[in-house]
Amino acid sequence: MSRATVELDFFGMEKANSCKSQFQKFIDRRRSFRGIQGAISKMNPELIKSVIASGSTNRNPVDWRKSFSVPSSPKEDRSTSLPSLPLLNPALRSIPSEESPETAPLTIFYNGTVSVINVPRDKAESIFKLAVEGSSKNIESVDSSKAANPSSDQQNLLEARNGDLPIARRKSLQRFLEKRKERLTSPYAW
Amino acid sequence: MEENGNKLHKTMTSQPGMSDVVLGCVMPYIDDPKDRDAVSLVCRRWYELDALTRKHITIALCYTTSPDRLRRRFRHLESLKLKGKPRAAMFNLIPEDWGGYVTPWVNEIAENFNCLKAVHFRRMIVKDSDLEVLARSRGKVLQVLKLDKCSGFSTDGLLHVGRLCRQLRTLFLEESSIIEKDGQWLHELAVNNSVLTNLNFYMTDLVKVSFEDLEFIAQNCRNLASVKISDCEILDLVGFFHAASVLEEFCGGSFNEQPERYTAVSFPPRLCRLGLTYMGKNEMPIVFPFASLLKKLDLLYALLDTEDHCLLIQRCPNLEVLETRNVIGDRGLEVLARSCKRLKRLRIERGADEQEMEDEEGVVSQRGLMALAQGCLELEYLAVYVSDITNASLQYIGTYSKNLCDFRLVLLDREERITDLPLDDGVCDLLRGCEKLRRFALYLRPGGLTDVGLGYIGQYSSKVRWMLLGYVGESDAGLLEFSKGCPSLQKLEMRGCCFSERALAASVMQLTSLRYLWVQGYRASESGHDLLAMARPFWNIELIPRIVGEDPVIEHPAHILAYYSLAGPRTDFPESVIPLDPSAAGISS
Repeated sequence: MSRATVELDFFGMEKANSCKSQFQKFIDRRRSFRGIQGAISKMNPELIKSVIASGSTNRNPVDWRKSFSVPSSPKEDRSTSLPSLPLLNPALRSIPSEESPETAPLTIFYNGTVSVINVPRDKAESIFKLAVEGSSKNIESVDSSKAANPSSDQQNLLEARNGDLPIARRKSLQRFLEKRKERLTSPYAW
Repeated sequence: MEENGNKLHKTMTSQPGMSDVVLGCVMPYIDDPKDRDAVSLVCRRWYELDALTRKHITIALCYTTSPDRLRRRFRHLESLKLKGKPRAAMFNLIPEDWGGYVTPWVNEIAENFNCLKAVHFRRMIVKDSDLEVLARSRGKVLQVLKLDKCSGFSTDGLLHVGRLCRQLRTLFLEESSIIEKDGQWLHELAVNNSVLTNLNFYMTDLVKVSFEDLEFIAQNCRNLASVKISDCEILDLVGFFHAASVLEEFCGGSFNEQPERYTAVSFPPRLCRLGLTYMGKNEMPIVFPFASLLKKLDLLYALLDTEDHCLLIQRCPNLEVLETRNVIGDRGLEVLARSCKRLKRLRIERGADEQEMEDEEGVVSQRGLMALAQGCLELEYLAVYVSDITNASLQYIGTYSKNLCDFRLVLLDREERITDLPLDDGVCDLLRGCEKLRRFALYLRPGGLTDVGLGYIGQYSSKVRWMLLGYVGESDAGLLEFSKGCPSLQKLEMRGCCFSERALAASVMQLTSLRYLWVQGYRASESGHDLLAMARPFWNIELIPRIVGEDPVIEHPAHILAYYSLAGPRTDFPESVIPLDPSAAGISS
């Protein structure tokens, strides 16, 4: 099956991540957009903008075959030098023709807005680094004295999101909720 | 061919025991499908007698057999129910062209099923031509036609039904996707039918039907007991309500005028099952005069807040069935528990996600569940979307809800922190306490249930035949432990699993009663190769591959569908569905 998408090794499945428990691996896997959203939402917006601005003119080559590893929880080893978040490359969507080959689109969900920016790899890494440091600082300060309870720690880190699969809504209810919205916004609503 | 009587008399009673004549008299009283299944396995004679006298067949997935096989075994069938698309289709998760075409079945019915009076197609694709064939061939005898969540046909197809099926007692179209050309089909029904008792086009988007035709039907059909319609202004239905003097059930309609005008509406005297679309707090009082008669209330599509629910429910002491959204809130559940001691079925659906659209009190949690369990001891069916949950509340259900046959819980993902997870102990106590449980659904989040909890489900769900599990367990070990139990599990649906293909295949081989599996969201490989470990004779394995949408960029993970079939692999696959072929991998099947 030839596809334009490059699928990244999300959570180092091929890497020797044997120190991680099955549960940890599962939890890591479940992170996706919402995980990124959670991490970045704790960052200073000005910081994000400045990093992006400084990166967009850089022309470093990008190697998409290199796998990223997932930042571990604060209690685990944090000596990984590449604390980057996984990237889903939305290469299937239409890419503007003027995009330079050395950069790639980075989609950021922040504070109710979605931005798609073309950045080279090193700038993308910087953003991720900041995100992880920003989010882990928050968690460490709150949980540092908490007794070890792996489930709730993972839960906090995950922000108890359901990962990739949103809870599906029944068709009939979906239609009703849409019709209700229309009724409320129609000019004749009373 | 009156071979029934002749055949019975011809067979000799050469062995001791019941004669065939006696058996033939007794057999028609055996209705339960499981009993019939057992009867048919005793010996060849009993198998043949069952085949001659079986009145109704439900085929849970139309691809598990063929029209030809059905006809060869049950030629004298009076009633047939066929289901097509996986249940997930009701949640927009299955491609529209997945399959489940009624055409081969309708053709067989037209040719050979001379005794068939009732037809029910659920989640299937129906064409206008199918309706024409059915109406022309069986129109004179057809009494029940249900096109239940079907698609692919238009009101032109329904014209044939209206014109030719003059003996129709039940016409059911609820939630079908129908292409609307005009309202002529209802007019044909009004003109040609005088025996209709059940008319249902609820939750279809048919707007060109005329209320005059409805009134006409009410005047002609003196036994009209249940009418459920699409949006139609209630004030236009005053004449209809007046004419439908024996009406017991009404759902649908719409409120578009000033509330004061609705005080003029009077409902039929026997009305005890009601659901009024877009009913708000200002229109609600029109129900008060007969609220104490109500046995069933549908508030799914009403515009009530928590307080409105409390005001209405406390006036309905005879309520047996309630369907609503989670806007009912914990407070509404407490009122329900106090007021409705006869409650048997409760369904609480998920309302809007945006806070402004629903009452801020409109969340259901352990508080409401505990009150409900203690107050409504006759509860048989409970389906609920909760925003928070505890082990204790599930333990309460296990302790008090001794009549529970069907339990479904979905934990919404709005709240980050849930009071009490994992739910291992609560689930265990619920399953052990609710001994009659046949259907069970648990949809949580990562951390919601550990492998130990998943093992409990396997261990304590001895009678459960259907399960939906979402985001449960932690690892393959949990699934394997689970699959050592569940002795009665026939149909398993899973979503958002952490399990590998290898574990899924292994667990299928361990679940002794399993005949149907649906999974979306699991550790998929590119080829699905590890799934071949469950390859075996008569077991069809199909994949709906992973889709990455372009705009918006949403990922739809792959699905696995596997089921036993006597008919071999499907021959009508669309592009979106791929069969897994064991022979290609060198595994004999």
